[in-house]
Amino acid sequence: MSIPMVSKLLRAHLSELATNDQRIDGRGRWDGRDISLEIDVLDRAEGSAKVTMGDTIVYAGVKFQLMTPYPDRPNEGGLMCGAEVRPVAGRNWEAGPPSAESIELGRVVDRGIRESGCIDVNSLCIIPGEKAWQVILDLFAISDDGNLFDAFGLAAIAALKTAIVPCEKFEVGEDYPLNVSKTPIMCSYHKVGNRFVYDANAQEELGGDERIHITLGDDNHVHSLQKGLKGIFSADEFAEIMERAKIKSSELRKLVDSVLGD
Amino acid sequence: MGGYGDIQMIDENGLRMDGRTATQVRPITIETGVIPVADGSCRMTWGTNDVVVAIYGPMEAHPRKIQRQDRAVLDVRYNMAPFSTSDRIRPGFNRRSREISKVTADALESVVLLELYPRSKIRVEIEVLCAEAGTRCVGLTAASVALADAGIPMTDLVVSVASGKVNDVVVCDLNKEEDNYGEADLPMGVLPNSGELVFLQMDGDLSPEEFQTAWDYNVQAASEIHKIMVEALRKGGVN
Repeated sequence: MSIPMVSKLLRAHLSELATNDQRIDGRGRWDGRDISLEIDVLDRAEGSAKVTMGDTIVYAGVKFQLMTPYPDRPNEGGLMCGAEVRPVAGRNWEAGPPSAESIELGRVVDRGIRESGCIDVNSLCIIPGEKAWQVILDLFAISDDGNLFDAFGLAAIAALKTAIVPCEKFEVGEDYPLNVSKTPIMCSYHKVGNRFVYDANAQEELGGDERIHITLGDDNHVHSLQKGLKGIFSADEFAEIMERAKIKSSELRKLVDSVLGD
Repeated sequence: MGGYGDIQMIDENGLRMDGRTATQVRPITIETGVIPVADGSCRMTWGTNDVVVAIYGPMEAHPRKIQRQDRAVLDVRYNMAPFSTSDRIRPGFNRRSREISKVTADALESVVLLELYPRSKIRVEIEVLCAEAGTRCVGLTAASVALADAGIPMTDLVVSVASGKVNDVVVCDLNKEEDNYGEADLPMGVLPNSGELVFLQMDGDLSPEEFQTAWDYNVQAASEIHKIMVEALRKGGVN
């Protein structure tokens, strides 16, 4: 990703708004943008979801492949999660091999899902030591107006929850829905004008400092954390956004449940 | 092009597996302005193909060596998302997508008034989210709609459509099975107002008569598809 010039005016404007407890698009400090979650949107994927957060739009698609289990884990299948932000998603994203930014995106989402244990890798084994399922989760952005992390995180878990294991296509039995036992949710906070806000848009990302991503599981267990970009934060600041993340993640979990109808 | 004649794809009434007649095109929808951060955009569904196109620019062309003193350069990228096909596609450029990007650029350069924007670059990003058959045609057609949505001056839109041959019958707009097991494929890019061509490929086996029929089917289908494109642009506020 090419980093555009950050105008001093933008940073000054964001700071001034922050001192009056305002944001550049009029939201409150902990308010997210309008969000919509659609499932089963991609005909060729075994599971899929589309998330729109303001002007940020992303897709997640699940595919399955047969793999040979790793010798040290003969009873386990695999989960692979990758994010691609191609130049379609914005003028600053460039073609070529995956950028550090998109690799970070994929890995942070991957950790949240993997470490929550929502997918039982043992259940992905077909014949121990010989044949197992590899679940491949591809995250794909088509419009980046900030906070791709949360959009990807939400699309990822929703797509997994709609996935059907394509046994018939691979001639290993009957199709069945992938068992996803938990709903890990990521919430991201950006330091803008010297205080953290939830769900930063592209302008806030550009004129802001560090960001913190928190993935929480069903019982508010912490499954992944990531601090990104240059910046210093205090334990008190972290404690505050952690409390906010607990509230927000349970709201988003309800959204996922209501869209999936369970 | 399997060329295996043992799969019956045309029934005794001349109807195809999906119930279409020989000249009938799959259902098409077009929507403009679907990518809020782009300067112009378009989503086109055609059968179960689902393609989005974003336009960025005209913008400064960099590095400088790609600049042209007298015109803009078109930077066209065609790509299939990893989940767009039955078997997952490994991300990254491949020979096929590179060739399609090139012929799409060649087609669009023939209609965009590039000389109005010297030293600049216009990016055309074609992303296939779901592929059935004929994605290069969908990509080219949708790209011309997205360019119009971006307000970039062109002499005409480009309508791209393919006809081919299955079970020795010439049919328009091949679907997945017809594309896999058919005997020929002739994609064309037609300028609807003049009837001229900016894109042409073909593979397979067609007699001179079959070739003419396929050609005529494409020209006829192009004029139908053009109406849908114009309607979508009007609805999106472009005249």
